[in-house]
Amino acid sequence: MNKLAIITAFLGAVKNRYMSYQEDRTLDEKFLMASKVEGIDGLELCYPADFEDLKKLKELLKQYNFGISAINFRSRRTGKWWRGSFTSESLSEQKEFIDEVKRAMDAAVELDCYRITTCPLNDGSDYLFEMDYIKAYDYAAETFSAACAHNRQVRVCIEYKESDPCARCLFGNVGETASFCQMVGADNLGVTLDIGHALYTGERPAQSAVLLANAKRLFYVHLNDNDGRWDWDMLPGAYHMWEFIELFYYLRQLGYNDDWYAFDVFPKEIDTVDTFKAVVVLTRKLETLTDRIDPKKMESLLEKRNPTKTIPYLYSLL
Amino acid sequence: MRDWKFSVNSGFLGRRRDRFTEYQPDRTLEEKFKLIEKIDGIDGIELKYPLDLKDLPLAKRLLKESGLICSAINVDIKDAAFFRYGALSAQSKEARDRAASLLREGMDIASELGAGLVTTCPLADGYDYPFQIDYASAWGRFIETVKEVVSYRNDVRLALEFQPHEPHAKIMLSNVGKVLHVCTEVGLPNLGANLDIGHSFAAGESPAESAALLRGKGRLFYIHTNDNTGEGGDWDMISGTVHFWHWFELLYTLDRVGYDGWFGGDVSPKHFGPTEAYDTNTRMIQRMIELLKRMEPEKITALVNKDGGIAETFNYLSQCLVGKL
Repeated sequence: MNKLAIITAFLGAVKNRYMSYQEDRTLDEKFLMASKVEGIDGLELCYPADFEDLKKLKELLKQYNFGISAINFRSRRTGKWWRGSFTSESLSEQKEFIDEVKRAMDAAVELDCYRITTCPLNDGSDYLFEMDYIKAYDYAAETFSAACAHNRQVRVCIEYKESDPCARCLFGNVGETASFCQMVGADNLGVTLDIGHALYTGERPAQSAVLLANAKRLFYVHLNDNDGRWDWDMLPGAYHMWEFIELFYYLRQLGYNDDWYAFDVFPKEIDTVDTFKAVVVLTRKLETLTDRIDPKKMESLLEKRNPTKTIPYLYSLL
Repeated sequence: MRDWKFSVNSGFLGRRRDRFTEYQPDRTLEEKFKLIEKIDGIDGIELKYPLDLKDLPLAKRLLKESGLICSAINVDIKDAAFFRYGALSAQSKEARDRAASLLREGMDIASELGAGLVTTCPLADGYDYPFQIDYASAWGRFIETVKEVVSYRNDVRLALEFQPHEPHAKIMLSNVGKVLHVCTEVGLPNLGANLDIGHSFAAGESPAESAALLRGKGRLFYIHTNDNTGEGGDWDMISGTVHFWHWFELLYTLDRVGYDGWFGGDVSPKHFGPTEAYDTNTRMIQRMIELLKRMEPEKITALVNKDGGIAETFNYLSQCLVGKL
């Protein structure tokens, strides 16, 4: 069974362009909040925010007996790197940026965590003719190659997202990201499959998971849901119940069943602890429903490819 | 072709942010006015209430000194502290009253500053999940509150701005049809729409059609000019940078239906800055208008009115752009 983690960034204040929700919280408070959520096994830590005091961080991890699912390297900083982080064309920015990535990787190893995940939100464009795509992919390949070469034991995961804050991110969907990883060629470069991102870019998450696994790039999974139009980071299953069940079914087939699920769910007006309690309950319930699928039966249904048999079978499990 | 006046939404002249980062410094009202002075072709400013209007005499003085006209008062009714569970449609009477009184105050200021128009985008009135709100009663309250507001004084118009989503997954007032529905239900002539072109694209509409519908019912009070990629993201991009032909169609239609209001610029300056953003936005629209004049709108009308003539229409339009090939 996969362990469950909360991304620390969602335990404090969260905001969108109009509103701020919840309050800023210290690292101590974030750990305390996570500990109140029954069924949470650990955290996805954010770099640099959570790493101001490494000693303190280690103490908290020990005190609460939390595992680390991954280190989330934040590639955006207010006021800098406007021309791209992984794709910057400025030599000095490239150096500054890759040094920062390496520090994050070293910090992960120091905590005995061998996975960093990053969503290249700074790398994309709003307007046509704004970004030289030819150069951008070359720079991105150089930066990710350098990161992967820094420590081959650490898996580097690209979390793709179609848009926001750019109208179009460079890594927008599963195909673009898988092919980029294969183009770079480093074995320790792979993908974080964020279910919400997959859904709003029009993918079937189960299909995306299989594609990534076939390419040996299914490194990590983030769970959340949305209405298929935008990245609302909502409770898993609130909109796409059957998509989650199909995903879980295939993740088991693919052997992603002794790893981590990390949650990025936006607490908004609802209490943060209550939000993640619901997230845990819903995830485990969706898994229970998935358990009710008899793999042999499903295999034969998949052979028949007859939805008039398959869909009623699925509803019979409710 | 008509000559439309251009204004700038002051909300974009100060600090901006998205979910992840902040852009642009905080600016005082004086600094915002100074910025606009540097932009060619701007006749007016849309001021935010309460943010810009805590010192009304100052706003008056700046308007006078700059020669800018106040195009509209944009009233903010999405404050998370008061409108967490809705504003116009909230179950809490206190929240509804607060939203109504903010709008009434905005109407008084709009009258005092000579704008005669209040615009508001009711973004607190929405929901994220199924089973989150009782639609029937929420819509009833929404319409009642709007009716109460526009009944307050008939010499100031209220323009409702629809938006399909954000910050909620679903905003109640999400498309042009719903705005027209509210106008019909309320039944007062000083209620209409602020057609934000990007919101219309995000809602899957052709803004020209929405404009024609609204104008046909006497409800097209104001327009926010911008653009986006059309997948639903409200990127507030420079007008015409994505939907070139749709923007053309919009300008052609606005002329045809006789829209005589403002073009309120509503463009995100992100990291390149407000002066360039609004300078380019205004110039893009002005150049599209010039191009339309050259295309002779009456010729377009004749082509559009031929059933099955779309090939001929685009043959003509593209020939006007690049000449005969």
